[in-house]
Amino acid sequence: MPRTDPAERLLNLIIALTHARVRMTRSEIRDTVAGYEREDPSAPPEQAARTTAAFERMFERDKDDLRRMGVPLLTVTDSAHGDDIGYRIDVSEAALEAVALTPAEMAVVGLAADFWQDATLGADARQGVAKLAARATGGHSIEVPFAARSASGSAATGVLAEAIAERRAVSFAYASAASGHSIRQVEPWLLVLRGGQQYLIGQDRDRGQARTYRVSRIDGEVAIVGQPHGFDIPRDIDLGALVPTAAENHAIVAVRPDSAHALRRRGEVIGVDGQWDLVKVTYRHPDAMRAQILALAGAARVIEPVELRDAVVSFARAAVEVRGG
Amino acid sequence: MAERALPRLTRLLGIVTYLEDHGATPFADLAQHFGVSVVQIRKDLGTLWVSGLPGHMPDHLIDFDAWAYDDDIAHLTNSQGVTQIRLSPREAVALVGALSTMVAAGGAPRAATTALAKLRAVLGGDPIRVVADGSPSPEVAESIADAAARGRVVEIDYVDAMDHRTRRAIEPHRIVTVDGVAYVECWCRRASDYRSFRLDRMDGVVVTGEPISAPPADAETFALEPRFDARLVVARASRWALDDLPGATLTDRGEYVEAVVPVAHTAWIAGRLLAVAPDLRSVEPPALSDEVARQAAAVLAVHGG
Repeated sequence: MPRTDPAERLLNLIIALTHARVRMTRSEIRDTVAGYEREDPSAPPEQAARTTAAFERMFERDKDDLRRMGVPLLTVTDSAHGDDIGYRIDVSEAALEAVALTPAEMAVVGLAADFWQDATLGADARQGVAKLAARATGGHSIEVPFAARSASGSAATGVLAEAIAERRAVSFAYASAASGHSIRQVEPWLLVLRGGQQYLIGQDRDRGQARTYRVSRIDGEVAIVGQPHGFDIPRDIDLGALVPTAAENHAIVAVRPDSAHALRRRGEVIGVDGQWDLVKVTYRHPDAMRAQILALAGAARVIEPVELRDAVVSFARAAVEVRGG
Repeated sequence: MAERALPRLTRLLGIVTYLEDHGATPFADLAQHFGVSVVQIRKDLGTLWVSGLPGHMPDHLIDFDAWAYDDDIAHLTNSQGVTQIRLSPREAVALVGALSTMVAAGGAPRAATTALAKLRAVLGGDPIRVVADGSPSPEVAESIADAAARGRVVEIDYVDAMDHRTRRAIEPHRIVTVDGVAYVECWCRRASDYRSFRLDRMDGVVVTGEPISAPPADAETFALEPRFDARLVVARASRWALDDLPGATLTDRGEYVEAVVPVAHTAWIAGRLLAVAPDLRSVEPPALSDEVARQAAAVLAVHGG
C-alpha cells in the first residue's frame, strides 16, 4: 500500500473528528480514517503487535502536530467503557475567525515571518501568516519598505506561549543574577518583549511570589509539568522593573558646548555655567541616569542632586582602578 | 525532500476557506494568493478532491465542479465543513510580538497598527506585551517612512552614539526595526556610503522633492565590523549589562560571569562598562581597559574628584 502524504492523512483525520457525533476511539480512527494502516485480523500476533505499535507512534505524532497547529482536540471518555479514550474536534472552536486583512496589512504581517531568529518561532510566524492569507481580502500582494528582526530568540518562547494559553505550570533551569543556577517551578502569566529581550512574568511556586525571568537565561528546555487550567492569571499584572513606574526625579547637569546632544534633547537648557550649558533633566531610573552621565566621559557634570553626583564619582573611581588581566 | 506536513495542511485548509469566501477562482489566482506554483495548486486540489469522511462515499468527499476544473477554475461545491484553523498560541505570540515591536519602535507603516487591532480583536487581548524603550516622535517616523516609500531625499539632524551632532542629506531605502529600535537604511551623502540611522536620534527632518539616486545596499548596514574580541569578567550581579551587549557570549563561573564581546567601537563599549564599574573584575585587551580608565578619569576631572 503506498504511503499517504502526512498532510492528506491529517486532513482526513480533521474531517473525521469534526464530523464525529460523540467521539472516535483510537481503533475507530485506525480502521476508518484514510492514511492509517488498518488492523489485519489474519496477521500473526507478532506482526499485529508491530503494526499496532507503528499506528500508536504515528497517531501520537499526528496529535502533536494538530496541537501545535492550534486544533482544539477534545478528549472524551465514555463512562460506559471505563478507560476507553475517544477524540473529537469542536468545529466552532477550531475555525479561524473572520479577520479580513487588506493587502497592505498582509504585507506588514508577512514581515513577522523574518522577525524571529529562532527557527521554531520563525516557523510558527510563517504558519500564522499562511493561515491569515486564507481570509485576507483579495488583491495583488504589495511590497513595503520595512523590515524587522530580533537578535535574541529562544525555543523556550513557543512552549511558554502554549503553557500560558493552557494555564499549565512549567519547570526550567534558570541562571539568576542574585542566586545562581536553580530549578524553578513557575505558573506562567505573561510574555514581555523589551529592547530585543524576552521576559516571562509568573508566580514562582517555591518562593510564593510573582517573579520576572529573562527567557535568555533559561538553561535548556522548558518542561510543561502542570495540568491544564491549573491556575488563574491575575487581571492586572505588575510589569515591575520592565516599565518606568518609579517617581520622577530632576537633575541639573552642566554639559560641554556642542556635546551631550541626547541629554539636551531629553531636558531643557535653563542657563549657563561659563562655557557650559545647564540642562534640567527629568528621570525615573537613577541607575540609567548615572550610566548616561558616565558614558559622556567628562562632557557632563552633575550639579544636583548630590546623590547622583556622588554615585557618578564613586563609579568613575572604581573604573579608574580597572586593569586588564 | 517532500514539503513538511503542516505547511501543506495549512495551505489545503486555506484553499477551501478562500474558495468558500470568494467563490470560483482561477488556478493562477490561487497560486499567486498562496505563493506557490500552478502545478502545486493542481496537486493540492487533487488531494482535496479525494479527501473526506471515513468510508469515502462520493457524497462524503470534498467536491469540485468538474466542468470548471477542466477550465482551470476551482469551484468548490462541498467543503465537508473543512475550514482554516484559528491561530495557535505560538503563532499568536510570533505575529503579535513582531508587529507590536515594530509599532512600539515607531518603525512600522500605518497598516501594522490596523492589522494589530484586527488580530487583538480575534485573540481577545495581547498574547505578548511589548514595552518600548524610547521611541521617535511620530512626525519623524512618518516623514522618514513617507520619504522611503516615495523615494525622496531627506535632510536630518543626527546625534550619533558617540554624541556627535551632524546635519546630513540621506537617501532612505527601508526602515528596519532591530531589537526594538527603528533605523533607516540609507545612502548618506555626507559619508558617501551606506549607513543606518536611529529614528529616535534624529530631528529637524525635512523631506525634499528630490528623488533618490543610489540603489539600496546589498547587505544590512547597521552591523559595524567587529575589530577585536574583548574578554570581560564581572560579578554576577552585573550580568545584565553583558547580556545587553551585541554578540556577547557569556559563561557563568559561580560568583562571576565571563564574557567574550566583539568590539566594533572601543569608546562605545567602554562607556557601557562604566555603568557597572564596581563589579568589573577584569577587562582585556589593554586597548579597552585603557579606554575605560581614560573615560573614568575624564569624569572625575570635571567633577573635581
